[in-house]
Amino acid sequence: MKNKIVWIFLILFTLLTFFISEKNFALIAILIIAVLKLLMVAFQFMELKKAHFFWRITFSLLIMIVTLTLYLLRN
Amino acid sequence: MNDADNDYRKFFYPPGGILIWMIIFVELITFSLGLIAMVYYGKSEATLYHSSCLKLNKNIAIINTIVLLTSSYFIATAIQFVKNENTRKATYYIRLTIIFGFIFVCLKSFEYYLKIEAGEFLTTNLFYTFYWMLTAFHLIHVLIGLSILSYFYIAISKKENAIELTDMMAGAAFWHMCDLIWLLLFPVLYLLF
Repeated sequence: MKNKIVWIFLILFTLLTFFISEKNFALIAILIIAVLKLLMVAFQFMELKKAHFFWRITFSLLIMIVTLTLYLLRN
Repeated sequence: MNDADNDYRKFFYPPGGILIWMIIFVELITFSLGLIAMVYYGKSEATLYHSSCLKLNKNIAIINTIVLLTSSYFIATAIQFVKNENTRKATYYIRLTIIFGFIFVCLKSFEYYLKIEAGEFLTTNLFYTFYWMLTAFHLIHVLIGLSILSYFYIAISKKENAIELTDMMAGAAFWHMCDLIWLLLFPVLYLLF
């Protein structure tokens, strides 16, 4: 059931990304939504939420560092 | 929480096994560096990047994103059925995952066909160099993932419990990794410029 809820949110976030891509705040919004989607897939679908603290924090940090770097370079 | 879930809490036993997670991290870092390089070089060629990005087919990309996310949901559901020892349902969801994987490959091939028809190749400009390299490497990963899933499908269709749960989870994690990589590629390639 949780998987289905996460899947619905992932689809909604994807459609939201598409519709806001022309807006002024698009850059930051698109990247935040991308981070959320990545974390949802990893933590729910890949069951990272059940893994050791190290794997959870390392994955989250990696995703955040990458998107922050992309934001700073693009902005 | 069952025994397997308790094992996941141990450092050396993340879901799917430590090896697949090391691969996932290496792949994510590699693709991320490619995207960072793309954005970095885009600073000096902003007009070229913008005009090239506008020519990409965003409709195909968004459909492909939904297709991959749905296939990820299907394989996650299949794993739940494998854990509950419901092989019939697990097989059904693995089959759906494979079908959606093939839809992704077909749509990507159609997108490539349109690009080739329009004369937009790897060497056309820097934007397309990154576009072709990153998406083609991703497509190779999708094809490898499909091969792994097809093997699982054939094996458990013939004989129940033919594959260990950890191996199934590792294969599923590889498929999810294709999804993760695409979730990074999609916004940067199709929307940021």
